[in-house]
Amino acid sequence: MSRPDIKVEKSQTKEIAGKQNGDTVIGIDIGSLGAKAVLIANHSVYTALGRTGLYMQETANDLIGSLTDAAGIKRSDVEYIVGTGYGRVALEFPDTPSRIITEISCHARGAHYLLPNTRTIVDMGGQDCKAIRVEDDGSVGDFAMNDKCAAGTGRFLEVMANVFKVKLEDLGALALSATELVPVSSTCTVFAESETISLLARGESPANILKGINYAIAHRIGGMFARVGLQTDIYFSGGVAKNSGMRAALEERLDARINSSDFDPQLVGALGAAVYATDYAN
Amino acid sequence: MSLSTLPKFKAAVAARPAELEQARKNGRKVVGWLNYNTPEEIIHALGLIPVQLGIGGDDKLVDLGGSFISTKNCVYVRETVGLFAENKNPLVALSDIIAVDATCLQIYRVAELIEYYFKRDVVILDVPKNPTTSEGRTYFQKEVAAFARVLGEKTGTKLGTAALQKSIDLYREIRATVQEIYRYQAVATPVITWREVRDVIHARYSLDPVLYLQLVKELRDELHVLAGATPYLEDSPEVRIMISGSILPPGDNKLIQLIESNGGRIVVDDTWSGLVPFLYVDVKAPTPEAVAEAYLERVPHGALPHLDLKSDRRLKLQHELVKEYHVDGVIYHTLRYCDPYTFKANETKELLKQIKIPLLEIHTEYAGSDIEAIRTRAEAFIELLRNRRKKFGQQKPKAAAVA
Repeated sequence: MSRPDIKVEKSQTKEIAGKQNGDTVIGIDIGSLGAKAVLIANHSVYTALGRTGLYMQETANDLIGSLTDAAGIKRSDVEYIVGTGYGRVALEFPDTPSRIITEISCHARGAHYLLPNTRTIVDMGGQDCKAIRVEDDGSVGDFAMNDKCAAGTGRFLEVMANVFKVKLEDLGALALSATELVPVSSTCTVFAESETISLLARGESPANILKGINYAIAHRIGGMFARVGLQTDIYFSGGVAKNSGMRAALEERLDARINSSDFDPQLVGALGAAVYATDYAN
Repeated sequence: MSLSTLPKFKAAVAARPAELEQARKNGRKVVGWLNYNTPEEIIHALGLIPVQLGIGGDDKLVDLGGSFISTKNCVYVRETVGLFAENKNPLVALSDIIAVDATCLQIYRVAELIEYYFKRDVVILDVPKNPTTSEGRTYFQKEVAAFARVLGEKTGTKLGTAALQKSIDLYREIRATVQEIYRYQAVATPVITWREVRDVIHARYSLDPVLYLQLVKELRDELHVLAGATPYLEDSPEVRIMISGSILPPGDNKLIQLIESNGGRIVVDDTWSGLVPFLYVDVKAPTPEAVAEAYLERVPHGALPHLDLKSDRRLKLQHELVKEYHVDGVIYHTLRYCDPYTFKANETKELLKQIKIPLLEIHTEYAGSDIEAIRTRAEAFIELLRNRRKKFGQQKPKAAAVA
């Protein structure tokens, strides 16, 4: 059964066209904020995106229902499911062969599937950031995660959007409209919020402050690449990857171009899970 | 397969508080000791009862300890202070004297606090920060001699040569037997797990050393019967993990559970709450000076500076253990604000990079708030190691500069 808040699409992305065999598999990425799923069926790729909500298994089942409806298949046609993401530990699919894999492996596999030359991934999700080094076969070479901090995460940006009274999806354009950068010293969500309010009270423009926030976060994330090493090509995945302001700040901090694809970067973990599911189905 | 000796350790540990109470009624003194370089041989040879103090994993005790010591000290240190503040742990409550060696300066600070706030009778054994120099060695020899003298004065006892030799022999046999047992958990098809061996090691905290030796010998003999007299270390189907870094005291099981629940198999550790205190202790004469010399010859604690990495015995041991135990990857665990091991993580990382062994750094504390984040890291690391096995087979370490 479809849920109204779940957005379902048939992907037309050129990078994945023609890569599917005849298997019918699903990858599900239950993140802390967003729930994502990818169905590979009929040599096509279908995607579903919604909010995770409180009940992760229920959300996963709703995502599967939305996808199978869109593809015109029955759930029993699904040969294999791979679950991933923060909510992966809660997932069970008793009627379908399944496996749980971390989002780190799935993002690597998904980005490699889209753009095979990808060697480094910045993944900025709802509650954490990761730097992932990808091997030439799409497996993980090394990785680093931010440590107990919401800086640079979707949750952080939600708080900032609320402070600026703009929609989350408009933050990127707002930052890109900045005429200068207002330095922001804190990347802690709580302190950054109060610092931002102080800066607004001082008369600084939201765009300039936001640019400062993005650069502060990019600087912090840059440290993770010192641990895993930065190799091109670079891919930016996760919900925050849709934020063009953050992308620009990261490119400047890393002094490297970040590759992009038409495929929704928030869905890359689910795509990787579906690719793994194809492996296991065979 | 269940080993019949293991429940005996558990029963002996459970019975120990009552034994200690009785011993104190009979006039014996209990010396609770903290840190890494306190020579148990000396305490035992004085006729005193040594017990090792310190547990981990209890955030309530950390909070309690945090009322007396800065929250910028590591959680183990804060929990240790909390143990004294609460005074319910039987080993803490029943210790007449608290002996603290100043290897880790945060624990040295604990000594000051428990004397000041909780009026405990504390004896400090200073540890030189230049242990490889002749000046440092001479200093520690004098410190150990003074430690024996002060303990003797406080308890009305005197260190005798024959008693010390007996204690040296006792502890030598304990260490050798535990080393032997430790290898059994790491064979391809073990009859004892690493976690069970860890429990055996931690039983030593409270047990009378004579009984402890009897039990470890019994366990060793049982293992001989079940698994042969020579445990052969080789590769096994599960990914084989070494744990390194900060202390993992009794009660701190968070990381271990996360590794094991994700299919990782811990086969070796080089922590000072695990295998390391049992290695490379060779007391050559029944004197405090010889005991001091032997303790400085052990694998050093991370808090002791050693700037020449090529001769660092800690790194050399890591290299040896990775090879000997067929390790696929190392999880380097550090407690927040445990500066010695946090700062030294990079040395281990560089060593492992040279021998192409992956390393995962986990920086944590006892609160449960980071469990899911650590689970993801540990799980992803195990996936990474499994993929490497599929692609390359088990990576055989190459020679590194420290070897």
